[in-house]
Amino acid sequence: MIVRWLVRLVAWALLIYLVLPLVVIMGASFTTTPYLTFPPQGWTLDWYRQMLADASYVSAFVTSSLLAMAATLIAVLMTVPAALALARYDFPGKAAMSALLMSPLVLPHIVLGAALLQFGGYFGLTRSFLALLIGHTVIVAPFVLRSTFALLSPEQRALEEASSDLGAHPLQTFFLVTLPQIRAGIVTGSIFAFISSWINVELSIFNTTADLNTIPVKLFNYVQYTIDPTIAAVSGATIVVAVLAIVILDLTVGLDMLSERK
Amino acid sequence: MARRYTPLWLLGVPLLFFAAFFLAPLSVVAVASLTQAAGGLTFANYAHILADRYHWDVIAVTFRIGLATTAICILLGYPLAWYLVRIVQWPWWRRVCVIVLVVPLFTSNIVRSFGWMVMLGRNGMVNDALMGVGVIDRPMRFLGTELGILIGMVYVLLPFVVLAVGNALARVDPACEQASSDLGASPAATFLHVTFPLTLPGVVAGAIMVFTLAVSAYVTPALLSGGRISVLSMLIFQQYSSVFDFHYGGALSIVLLVFTLIMVAAAGRIGVPAGSAR
Repeated sequence: MIVRWLVRLVAWALLIYLVLPLVVIMGASFTTTPYLTFPPQGWTLDWYRQMLADASYVSAFVTSSLLAMAATLIAVLMTVPAALALARYDFPGKAAMSALLMSPLVLPHIVLGAALLQFGGYFGLTRSFLALLIGHTVIVAPFVLRSTFALLSPEQRALEEASSDLGAHPLQTFFLVTLPQIRAGIVTGSIFAFISSWINVELSIFNTTADLNTIPVKLFNYVQYTIDPTIAAVSGATIVVAVLAIVILDLTVGLDMLSERK
Repeated sequence: MARRYTPLWLLGVPLLFFAAFFLAPLSVVAVASLTQAAGGLTFANYAHILADRYHWDVIAVTFRIGLATTAICILLGYPLAWYLVRIVQWPWWRRVCVIVLVVPLFTSNIVRSFGWMVMLGRNGMVNDALMGVGVIDRPMRFLGTELGILIGMVYVLLPFVVLAVGNALARVDPACEQASSDLGASPAATFLHVTFPLTLPGVVAGAIMVFTLAVSAYVTPALLSGGRISVLSMLIFQQYSSVFDFHYGGALSIVLLVFTLIMVAAAGRIGVPAGSAR
């Protein structure tokens, strides 16, 4: 019983620890003072207005969103077929291939960013949207691959075979039989992919310029020199995006990952 | 016959993409680390790193922070996972808790580290609170210390452990624990000999994730170090962004990569339950 209460106390303290910085930033973004303070003094949306009036923030938001969407889309188009191949067929070198496609998950992003910068330098493939997109696609692909692969089970084969025995084209079988069963995995993977692109600094920082910037890199460069409530407002906006993504995730596939299995 | 080629069709594009934009760039770094501007094969870049006291200090700080972050995340994450899976009664409250856990994961490291920069400052909330309670009578220095970096890192990485352990815990078959206690084991013995070993794979998976992310983290240490402490990733970034020594930077990258892979491989061995065939 005592242990139970101890666990409870630790858990409550940790939950507060997890929310606190986000609450502080959100709160500080509404302050009327020209410096950051929490609890906020007064209540104003001026800092958000200032953010929207600054074209460089708006364009960074646009760049980040396009980048995350494009990288996720390409990752889905590439890794869903790959997941099918890995789940449905046996062939030599399969383990090595899947290890290769998953390895960006354990590779330090800063190393990959540096590598892509040096490599891209040989072809003039640096400091451009395409250079950013290539790097982001590499790091987000494993998320889609992993969650799609997890939903492909051997039992689905019988249904696929039935479909092709009944005369369906392999593509028809994929879209009508396989896809509905792995849709949740693709959605979950895509959201994780989108988010990890959306918040990436380590990779983007090598390929951004004053005119081509993503929100996290812009924030990172700014925070090191100046701290004012605009930064809190920009951060607040990204927190809102995060909460929206989570609500979408919860409503579409459900976030209930910790209930005890019946 | 046509069927044999299907995997190749499905895997061809991603494999080519990864060969071109993952393997090739990393090979370029590896090659650069073994050469010098004048050309010719050399280990001078590695010798430069490994013979120098300063680099060993940076490597030590990097891995000390990595190991400490991992240990603290597991010590704190396990009870939190236990609470969420076993103690929470109302589903809606668990839902709120999971959202609280996941929101930070979906928020940029900068935003989160920035929150801590504000709170850990000289006149920040943490110092105010500690002085208010009377634990300290002068503001403590957090920014620019390993403690400050550690607080930020644990914050950033804790959710990974909770999700990994929580998932494992949710899968534990209650019948195993029931059997243990029916056979007369105390709750502590049941936990030590039944529940904990069953969740060990989740613990190891979470630990590997946290460790690799912690040693390769750049943003959090860069923001919370205040320029006073360097970790490997900061040295690497410097070489590529301002010093432009790709040979030396390449060697640093490979050192980070090799040390990380050694640790991951070592942790992977612990993950195999004792006595299992694998």
